[in-house]
Amino acid sequence: MGDEKTGRRGTLRALAVLSGAAACGAIAAPGVKMLVAPASGAASGAARWLRAARFDSLEEGVPKRVAMIADARDAWTIERQKELGAVWLVRRGAAVECFSATCPHLGCTIGHDATSGFFCPCHDSGFAKDGARVTGPSPRGLDRLQTRVVDGAVEVDFHRYRQGIPERVELG
Amino acid sequence: MMAKLGDWLDVRIGHRAAIARWLDHPLAGGASWASAIGGALVFTFVVLALTGVLLMTSYAPTPQAAWASVHYVTHSLPGGWLVRGVHHFASDAMVVLVGAHLAHTIAVGAYKKPREVWFWLGLALAGLLLASAITGHALPWDQKGYWARRVESGIIGMAPGIGGFIQQMIQGGPDFGALGLARMHAAHVAILPALVVVLFWLRGSIARKIASAGDVKASDPYAKQLARDLVVALLVLVVCVVLARRAHGGPLDAPADSSSDYPARPEWFLMSLFRLRKFFHGAGEFWGTAVLPQLLALYVAALPLLDRKPGVRLGVRAPMLAPVVLAAIGAAALHVMAVQHDAGDADYAKARAKADTQTELANRAAFAGVPPTGPLDMPELRGRQLFEKSCASCHVLGDLGDPKKATATRLDGWGTEAWLVAMLHDPDAPEHFGKTPYKEIMPSIDAPAPPAKPMVTRAELEAVALFLAAQGDEPTEPARVADATKVVLGATIVRERCTTCHLYDGKGDDEGSGTAPELVHYGSIAWTRAQIANPATATTYRDKAAGELGSKGHMPRFDLEMSSADIELLARWTREHARASAKK
Repeated sequence: MGDEKTGRRGTLRALAVLSGAAACGAIAAPGVKMLVAPASGAASGAARWLRAARFDSLEEGVPKRVAMIADARDAWTIERQKELGAVWLVRRGAAVECFSATCPHLGCTIGHDATSGFFCPCHDSGFAKDGARVTGPSPRGLDRLQTRVVDGAVEVDFHRYRQGIPERVELG
Repeated sequence: MMAKLGDWLDVRIGHRAAIARWLDHPLAGGASWASAIGGALVFTFVVLALTGVLLMTSYAPTPQAAWASVHYVTHSLPGGWLVRGVHHFASDAMVVLVGAHLAHTIAVGAYKKPREVWFWLGLALAGLLLASAITGHALPWDQKGYWARRVESGIIGMAPGIGGFIQQMIQGGPDFGALGLARMHAAHVAILPALVVVLFWLRGSIARKIASAGDVKASDPYAKQLARDLVVALLVLVVCVVLARRAHGGPLDAPADSSSDYPARPEWFLMSLFRLRKFFHGAGEFWGTAVLPQLLALYVAALPLLDRKPGVRLGVRAPMLAPVVLAAIGAAALHVMAVQHDAGDADYAKARAKADTQTELANRAAFAGVPPTGPLDMPELRGRQLFEKSCASCHVLGDLGDPKKATATRLDGWGTEAWLVAMLHDPDAPEHFGKTPYKEIMPSIDAPAPPAKPMVTRAELEAVALFLAAQGDEPTEPARVADATKVVLGATIVRERCTTCHLYDGKGDDEGSGTAPELVHYGSIAWTRAQIANPATATTYRDKAAGELGSKGHMPRFDLEMSSADIELLARWTREHARASAKK
């Protein structure tokens, strides 16, 4: 009699636990999927040439900050011709050097003036003319981007990289 | 009447006895003002919850709408400013109360047996409340909140291994965007408050159990403590209301702009961590700025285990507390250093002044309504931004551009009658063509340098100025009140004498100089737009304006690097501000 009762209770308890776990799982599984989804986008690594400036608007050796403009997708919105970020262009003879204006440390926008050179307004990282880190907490130098000149227009292969780490890891 | 209703209810639910039991519950050790800090913390949380729910009735958590809705609550919605102001300052008060409560608990040794679990729950609660404050500051989606969160999620991304993964999960992708804001919102209004309520309740229950286990003879009823809690809470609320009144709500920086150069700074209670960052470079940064503070938190959490001898005399506990006190002094010193560094930093002052201008401008412009695409698309903001980026390196207009470095015409008053009078009289003045390649190309029409003779009298010059100013009028603008005969005189002179060099309606420039601009609709939106798009056309400054005089120093064409929508916006903004700044 007693055994029978315990046996029935045991079965009921197991059933309750199982169905409870199934119910929780039914919510948790898609929930976790939903929350981690935005973190799973990987970089394609494909070239993305964007027009940056006219070549003759650049002065030899004088950095010029230009916006990178393209359509931008953000979750459910698409914004036409949005400023994705900025880059610094420096003319060197017939070629153009390009550095991302996003600080490789924590992402503030890199400024430039004649006295300080390239600098970050947030944590005071300073960078040399060739983008190498000179002072401050940045784990690496400025991110160099490829450029080409097409019909007098400077184009930049625009990519963004993870911040705060010494390696260059492209963002998706 | 009320008493009768109370009797009726009491028979059915028995609330009187329950309330009495709650209020009379003995509090071992008696009521104290210091303990009221914790009580006031609970009430401040209630104030935050109430004002928070009220704010939710008028807030929209999307990057396009968030800033605009907060501006609306702060400046347009009756009563909104007070609700937001109290919410804002109560959140600051909460951080202060958390700090004070923690300091007091440690100082009096209230973490000792049997209060260990109560103490640990308190530390967890402190963390949750700080997270609430931090996520809350992201919600207005203004520059300050946006950049601080962006930098903070970047710090999370520095963690070895899964840092990048967690960072993207919080941000909702590689950038802080729509999902990131939605996640901050969910954490701020649902997840964190729910956990806070659970921990408050657990801690309250534990505190009661501990109190009733203590020396009941030396006790006060809980009501006495509750009264003190309420007095402190009320004081906090009064301070919040006063601060909210003084600030008329809470601060709202310019709308978040991911491609601006904003000098990011965290909220005041994180300034010491901000400063700490500058001491650690490269690989050591993560350990110094993320692990070190966490080790300190761990040490505080371990206090009940390390400091187990009975008795709470400070002298005995001094070696245990020394690291905590040193860390507190260090944090205060770092805070002062951070503030002083910024106060003496000219670059920061410059960047901050720019951000303040933007803040003032955006807040003013938003009264006219914000486009559904977001506050950055407000013409006042976008126009100024475009001018600053593309025009102000040569031109001056209002506070934009450097008069010392300018190599093009000063645009204050451009196209107005007064400006035209001055221009026609002295084209080579420094604010006109004096610093441009056009210097000495256009003669003064009423007082040229000898031996040239004046083309017109002063009265005729004024007629020409009036006629040309009217060329810039738009059909949608109020009609110009002017002397009709003077306009006709101006028109005649322009057609007969100015067209030696200028074009009027496509005719003129007999010598084919190709430099003097077309005068039909000069100064109108259409003319300005065409000029910005390309100054070297037959309907603007003409084909040779940018070429033959040497390409350097000339106005470039912008239609190759700016969208037509931006050119239109810039033309309207420039023309409007040129005209408005003449009136000042």
